[in-house]
Amino acid sequence: MKKTHYFFSIALALFQLQAIAQQRVFKDTLDGSSETVVVTANRSERKMGNVAVPVILIGKKTISQTGSLRIQDILQEQTGIVIVNSALGTSLNGYPNPFGQGVQMLGLDPAYTAILLDGEPLVGRNAGILKLGRLATGNIKQVEIVKGPSSSLYGSEAMAGVINILTDMPAKENIGFQLHHATNNTWGGTLSYANRIHKTGIQFFLNRLSTDGYDLDPTIYGKTVDPYRDWNGQLKITQELSNKLQLLVSLRNYDAKQDNNYQIFYQNLPAIASGYTTETDRSAFAQFKWLLSSNSKLYVRGFYDRYTNESFVNLDKTGLRFDETSFDQSVFKPEIQYEKNRPGKSQYVAGFGSNIEMIDASRYAGKQNLATVYGFTQKEWYLLSQKLTLIAGARIDKRTDFDLHLSPRFAMAYKPNAHWKFTASAGWGFKAPDFRHMYLNFYNAQIGYSLLGSATLGQELGKLQQQGLLQAGADISPYTNATGLKPETSFGIHVGAKYTSGKLVAEWGLFRNNISNLIDVYALPFTRTNSLPIYSYRNVGNVFTQGAEMDLSYQLTKQIRLSGGYQFLLAKDKQVLENIDNGLLYKRDPITLQSSLLSRQDYVGLANRSKHSLNAKVLYEQPTAGFDAYFRAVYRGAFGFMDKNGNNIIDNESELTPGYWMLNLAASKTIGNHLRVQIGAENLLDYTNPVQLSNIPGRTYFINLNLNINQPTKHKLP
Amino acid sequence: MKNRFNLILIVAIAIVFTACQKDEATPVAVPAFSRTQTLTVNFSATKPFAFFGFKDSALVANTDSTTAKWDFGLRLTTFLVNSNASGPGKAGVILQDGIFANLNTAPTSGYAYDTTSTKLAIKDGSWYDYNSVSRSLVPKAGKVFFFRTADGAHYAKMQLLAVDYAPFTGPTPSQLLYKFQYTYQPNGSNSF
Repeated sequence: MKKTHYFFSIALALFQLQAIAQQRVFKDTLDGSSETVVVTANRSERKMGNVAVPVILIGKKTISQTGSLRIQDILQEQTGIVIVNSALGTSLNGYPNPFGQGVQMLGLDPAYTAILLDGEPLVGRNAGILKLGRLATGNIKQVEIVKGPSSSLYGSEAMAGVINILTDMPAKENIGFQLHHATNNTWGGTLSYANRIHKTGIQFFLNRLSTDGYDLDPTIYGKTVDPYRDWNGQLKITQELSNKLQLLVSLRNYDAKQDNNYQIFYQNLPAIASGYTTETDRSAFAQFKWLLSSNSKLYVRGFYDRYTNESFVNLDKTGLRFDETSFDQSVFKPEIQYEKNRPGKSQYVAGFGSNIEMIDASRYAGKQNLATVYGFTQKEWYLLSQKLTLIAGARIDKRTDFDLHLSPRFAMAYKPNAHWKFTASAGWGFKAPDFRHMYLNFYNAQIGYSLLGSATLGQELGKLQQQGLLQAGADISPYTNATGLKPETSFGIHVGAKYTSGKLVAEWGLFRNNISNLIDVYALPFTRTNSLPIYSYRNVGNVFTQGAEMDLSYQLTKQIRLSGGYQFLLAKDKQVLENIDNGLLYKRDPITLQSSLLSRQDYVGLANRSKHSLNAKVLYEQPTAGFDAYFRAVYRGAFGFMDKNGNNIIDNESELTPGYWMLNLAASKTIGNHLRVQIGAENLLDYTNPVQLSNIPGRTYFINLNLNINQPTKHKLP
Repeated sequence: MKNRFNLILIVAIAIVFTACQKDEATPVAVPAFSRTQTLTVNFSATKPFAFFGFKDSALVANTDSTTAKWDFGLRLTTFLVNSNASGPGKAGVILQDGIFANLNTAPTSGYAYDTTSTKLAIKDGSWYDYNSVSRSLVPKAGKVFFFRTADGAHYAKMQLLAVDYAPFTGPTPSQLLYKFQYTYQPNGSNSF
């Protein structure tokens, strides 16, 4: 209660300050303005208005107006982007999902969206999910989200699309300092420095974030999210080696430590176990940009990233080690890219490179390596006095253990006049089985089941049998010479229309994605000696996702902008539909417990997908007074949680998690030339769902103090 | 109470039904009876099985495990039928997809037996899904078990309705409660 009071007195003070504030004029373009330059859609710079595939752009200004320090909070406010829990281990009795949350795009699981930082892929996915909390928001220049198959440029993992997080580039001298404080004793501090001296540019960023975590269910020992602290640092240096050759070097370091503290059963008695998890993510990037001529460029790049995660718990009473895990993944990625621009006629981009990946983890069978070589090419033509844009591109990937894979994409944009733009794109994508599908060797000590990767399945079953851990008489012969997994493949199409007229921007889209050879978990026909199942991965049938999306943005007055978006989504398994048509699927009535045939109408679709999701935003900006307020409402409709009535599919109301709203508000005020004060509240309705959505804390408040000192550049820019 | 009422009702209907068919000169049969029962089963791969006999609608004592008094046995998720490797009986089973109320004729052949202790008639995992998240055993919907009983002369149909844990403290449950519904035909006919 006290905290709330304190919060509102600050709010009041801010609004009063507004009246006496100095007059300052801000100049900025709206996010998604057709003049903004984006790089992700074509792997080279394009104006937003000329891009033929659906792109969402989130600018620095929007990020700062939300005040959020978590990238997932910013992403989930975008139409068609849903932050979902991993389908595995959705909740373990009030403990947080061990696999975390990721981005669901076009109704596809997080494993299908490539997450790039400054154009390079991040490693360290756990069960297909990349922990987005690794990324600080303070140094983000813009986030570009490309929806739809993007394997033609980015290869595996880009089947649903790409999220490219671009960080600040060295610019004129600037010293920035931010202090953040929020509910749950959350403290954040950021220091940034940028400068250009002569031919050298420098950008430095350092962030520390710590929190006490939160507890959604006090009846269960331990917190829902344990206390943690993160360090995030980045150093970027640019150097003009000549007027045709530029060097960019970027170093990044992430270091996190989180407590582990929970109750376990040791020798059938409750016991407290505690310890901590440490995570590191270190990357180095170097790039030469060589301007071959006024219209052609060559990039030579090298990227290295290593992610480690070590976790342990000891029994509090005896100090004995109860459980420990380790995970170490690295990637080295050299690449060459060539661009040729014939102004007003065409643009061409091509490149080749390789991905050398290594993994060494306690849950994987031994140390494993994978190498991929790839090449991509794309041409873009401008026809009919630049009203029509045509794009054709393709990428080939050859991983050591798979056949050559080709992923083409075609796209077009037609702009008959200044108001309308029509787009259509179609692409083929693929996703090779990843390390976990092939080499996972996981035994859940709490529950007692095993999950084994397909490549080492036969070998591991042999070991289990030898150790007498396999059900007596289990026949493992069909698995000893398993053929292995095939890559998942996809075909996606998207058609869209965009209307821009003065104050109004409206955008519509229809999409459909077919995925074949989907890799899923299945239970082997025999069990461990404890009678609990052994799971592995296999290629199962085909699924599709399809839907429609709409975005509207309207400048109501000079100060007020309204915007909103809606996505309708259907995501279903084709095999299930076929089985329903053939009368092979049954459901059990939760009350009478009697079985009856399932109809197509009963079938809700794949778990974790919301049929309806929407967002609505109101932005109030008074640049002259240096004041802005940003209100966002995000609704995620009901979605399937888990089967309860004996058919392994979602078909009953009781199997759904009800829809919910997240209401967020932030307001900021510039004081003087350098200081900006921001306050806000997230999850105003205090929505929580401890069992199914333990990642959502209740209502939180925050305050940010930003100090920015812009110095006039001492040296002239080259 | 409700079950008893159902039984009375079924008996009554059967009597009326057979009474109407008097003209056809068929022998007066003992009517089939239907029940819903709950069997307490050990949640353990080593503790004794719970044995059940359809004829007496009752749990059969473990001391009678080597007799033909029981038709099927359960332990954790392992089903035994009283045959070959599991017991002296002639019981067999057929697991069929369908709606319990509509399947009113038991097949006369095609029954599976417990050939060996590792090759059981009812395969583990064929009739339930284990949810590793909620740690629940959910019987698959639309699965009907046809039994030929241990005496080799009678038929029963059965479906599982629910499997729950008996209340427990500590990390592992000790017992499972199998709720099931069945119809037994005492007259030896294969129609229910």
